[in-house]
Amino acid sequence: MKRILIGLTSVASLMATVAVAENAAATSFRDSFLSGSTTWEDVQARAQEEGSVNLYYWGGSDPINIWMDQVVVTDLAKLGVTLNPVRITGTKDAVDLVLAEKGAGKGPGEGSVDAIWLNGENFATLKRRDALFGAFADSMPNSANIEWSDEDPRSLLNLRDFGVETGAAEVPWSGEQYVCSINTARVDKAAAPSTFADLRSYLEMNPGKFTYVKPPHYIGNTFVQSVIYAHNPDGNGAVPFQSSIEELGAEELARLITPGMEYLSALEPLLLGAQGGNARYPEDNAALDGMFLNGEVDFACKFGLYAVATGLSLGTYPEGAEAFVFPEGNMIKNKNFLAIPANAPNPAAALIMANYMTSVEAQVSKLKFTGMPPGVDPWRLDDAQVQALVDASPGLVGITQAELDANTAPDTNATLVNVIEATWLEYIERDSSDDIATIVARAVENLK
Amino acid sequence: MARGPFKTALNSRLSTFQKIYLLLIAGFILGPFIPLVIQSFAFRWAWPDMLPGTWWLEQRENTLMPLAWDYVISPYSRVWEATLNTMFIGTVVTVICLAICLPAARVLSRETFPGKPAFEFFLSMPLIVPEAAIGIALLMIFIHIGLAGTYTGIIIVHLIPTIPYMIRMLTAVYQGLGRDFEEQAMILGANRWQVMWQVTLPMLLPGVVAGALFTFLVSTNIFLLTFFLGQGKIVTLPTLLFSKISGGTLDASAAGITLVVTVPGIILLLITERFIKEEAFGKGFGN
Amino acid sequence: MTAPKTKELARHRRERIWMWVQLVPVLVVLVVLFGGALVLAVAQSLGFAPWFGVNTFPDFSYFAALWGAWSFWQSLGLTLYYAIVSTGIALVMGIILALAMVRLFPGKTLYKYLYKLPLMIPYTVGIALAVIMLGNGGMLSRLMAFVGLIGDPSEFPQILKTHYGWGIITVYVWKQTPFVTLTLYAVLLGVGRETEEAAAILGANKWQIFFQVTLPQILPGIISSTLIIFAFNIGAFEAPFILGGGYPDTLPVIAWRYFNDADYSLQLQGMATVVSIALIAGGILYSYLALYRRYERRIGRS
Repeated sequence: MKRILIGLTSVASLMATVAVAENAAATSFRDSFLSGSTTWEDVQARAQEEGSVNLYYWGGSDPINIWMDQVVVTDLAKLGVTLNPVRITGTKDAVDLVLAEKGAGKGPGEGSVDAIWLNGENFATLKRRDALFGAFADSMPNSANIEWSDEDPRSLLNLRDFGVETGAAEVPWSGEQYVCSINTARVDKAAAPSTFADLRSYLEMNPGKFTYVKPPHYIGNTFVQSVIYAHNPDGNGAVPFQSSIEELGAEELARLITPGMEYLSALEPLLLGAQGGNARYPEDNAALDGMFLNGEVDFACKFGLYAVATGLSLGTYPEGAEAFVFPEGNMIKNKNFLAIPANAPNPAAALIMANYMTSVEAQVSKLKFTGMPPGVDPWRLDDAQVQALVDASPGLVGITQAELDANTAPDTNATLVNVIEATWLEYIERDSSDDIATIVARAVENLK
Repeated sequence: MARGPFKTALNSRLSTFQKIYLLLIAGFILGPFIPLVIQSFAFRWAWPDMLPGTWWLEQRENTLMPLAWDYVISPYSRVWEATLNTMFIGTVVTVICLAICLPAARVLSRETFPGKPAFEFFLSMPLIVPEAAIGIALLMIFIHIGLAGTYTGIIIVHLIPTIPYMIRMLTAVYQGLGRDFEEQAMILGANRWQVMWQVTLPMLLPGVVAGALFTFLVSTNIFLLTFFLGQGKIVTLPTLLFSKISGGTLDASAAGITLVVTVPGIILLLITERFIKEEAFGKGFGN
Repeated sequence: MTAPKTKELARHRRERIWMWVQLVPVLVVLVVLFGGALVLAVAQSLGFAPWFGVNTFPDFSYFAALWGAWSFWQSLGLTLYYAIVSTGIALVMGIILALAMVRLFPGKTLYKYLYKLPLMIPYTVGIALAVIMLGNGGMLSRLMAFVGLIGDPSEFPQILKTHYGWGIITVYVWKQTPFVTLTLYAVLLGVGRETEEAAAILGANKWQIFFQVTLPQILPGIISSTLIIFAFNIGAFEAPFILGGGYPDTLPVIAWRYFNDADYSLQLQGMATVVSIALIAGGILYSYLALYRRYERRIGRS
């Protein structure tokens, strides 16, 4: 009996020392990597020891899930790392988990989340709570595929995420742009609106043939944002909306969004369903796509450079569907990223995976399987790689890349998004009779 | 009583109105399934086509992604997982419900005790108070005791709406049973076990089977409680279907999943109709 | 003498204990879990939520905010309207169907399977059927286009997603008419047709037989089945969420939206909403039953 006890105690203390040793090793790995004294071979060697990587990502898209299971797992296995794809219903869940573990005292090497697919508010939360691994995205071999130089204005999408500086703590994974589709079998493309004023006149002649996804869905939020950019009373589009709510202040924000909100309010009686009753806003883009397919609406907007091509191949879009330039100058473009938390249990394996995801091969296969546009910057690649991306893409239907590039706008600062969404719900959905300044002030108060 | 060749005063055939009505009802119940089946085999079926413009089988080779029934069968649709979960939870809930309601029903039908009316009132409360009212509060309790998102948690929670039905049906059966048979058997020399196995249980059996089938039915149809308590980890057929059609549109794979969700109901219908007479259901609800 | 008596007492006590033991599991589930959840909901609606950092018990401000908003009464009105109308329609349709089922007709065995089908499948299936049939892009709309009545989906009269709630009511009726029919058919079988026959012999016509003989016989079945389906309709969530007309929604959908909001104070508002639902449902159903019991006493049935 005594011998058993001694045996157990020694095993336990051995494991404890091993655990502490793991923790210390993880911390020193992180420190040396961030200071630049680790070579990539060291990272690869350590990744082989760690063996597996836990990637937490939104599991609501089957193409992505299939790509992960069929392609990514195999490719990473060749690199000596086992991928464990953890599908979650909301990115916020993974963020909450990381923060909860951090709060429970789990340091580097001791958490459960190795990498998260996120952007915007979720990244801002992790950064604010100091829960990120640190600057890794510009020190990987494949980081050369991304523009990091802040002298090139095109690097803005890599350096800032919804207005928040990324500090290379997250690496771009995919890019997207807000694109609207038109059914040319029902509507002449020449009659397609290009500005919001055009949309209004079109709807006055054809009432009820348009609607947009309802906030707080992010696709609805994006539509509202593009309206606000276009109706910015100072005429400088998205620029003021890159600042945070603390920098801007409730009054200034209210002043800037009032014309846009009033436009939406004036548009409401012309939307789908409003002729006989209330305007109908679909809850998500699947519903909107269904209305588009059946011809209940003539245009449908969402994030999707290749939405038309993908929709045609899946049968969810009508046969005459094409993309078109709308709204002029304000087709919001953003990137989404992979971030590594500070308490990742397998940081080296996570780095190997992040490097793989940034490789042109992974971006090409991702594009082919899922239709997700690449997160790498094409001007950093050689001609053969660019051609590979073009070949893999489902294709742009009805719009050219030049047109898309000429009409971009950045996303709104993460802190402003919630206020704008709350204002829409109060002003448009609940038909509040308060003026916008009051509503915005109240929203800012409640969200503190 | 012997019935001679008299014409009964009541007409026991259907009137024309009733015939038409029966046909209309049949169409109302079954009709909508026809477009559902068609949609499940379609690739693109847009307005105003009466039949799909392109069928699923035509497009299968052209797309990387599994479509329609391919998708439903693939593990990505989670249909098989949901079916197993639903059947498993339904069965366990039925067994546990039966086990705890049988003795309770016996007591309720035979004994009186202080607080019995209050108890019976409480028994009917879950029929009146909606799932929405208790769902979140139950979730909080279960998170606290660590059972949120587990099979055990869902099974326990499913007992709440099923116990009232089961107890009503069993109490009715027990009341119809009467003590006489048991007492007669004991007088004739049977011991307690023999009485139970050879007298009581066979007479209870129709009511027990009816109660079990009804409990299984209720459990496999529960949405809100399973949704809250399952926390996305445990998916059943109702929660899976809800997430597919919550946008208000129905594509081919959603139609396929709807049909799959209907299958357990059809099987249950065949079993119930074969073995249970209408009267058994009536006993539970007639009062 | 005393010895046999104490033995008897002891055995009696054992039997009573055994009786309570048999009741305990059911009691635990109903009282502890169900009752506990109710108590927790009520407590939170009154401001007792220390785990959220809120403890202002007893705080009626959540109820005041809820009941003071006009939108609450609109939602309540919608909830009751959908519940009453669908219960009524299901009742009438169920009575007619039950009366037909007691007759003999070819194919009756098959029909007995058929009419029970909606009972066995979840509401969500009914919702899917409603979407595919009644939506603007649905089958009825396409039929109308086929015969040339409409040229565009928007010309189809809006059935789903309006506050009139025809989609919701249709789904409820589709699911609940079989339930009413089943109950009433069982009651009719149990009661037998002798009284009806007697009335017919004595010269009563169809309507007199129905209103003065059949209806009183099936009344208990009507009351119990409408009670159950009305109670369900008040608290139902899936159909109004998917097929409803948007803001203002029915009360359960409002509660859901509160619970899903990131703002935690709305969680307590949601609790106030669900407690209100429970109180209203309980109140209505209790009065419904009480009225019926009074009616029963008046006509001499105990």
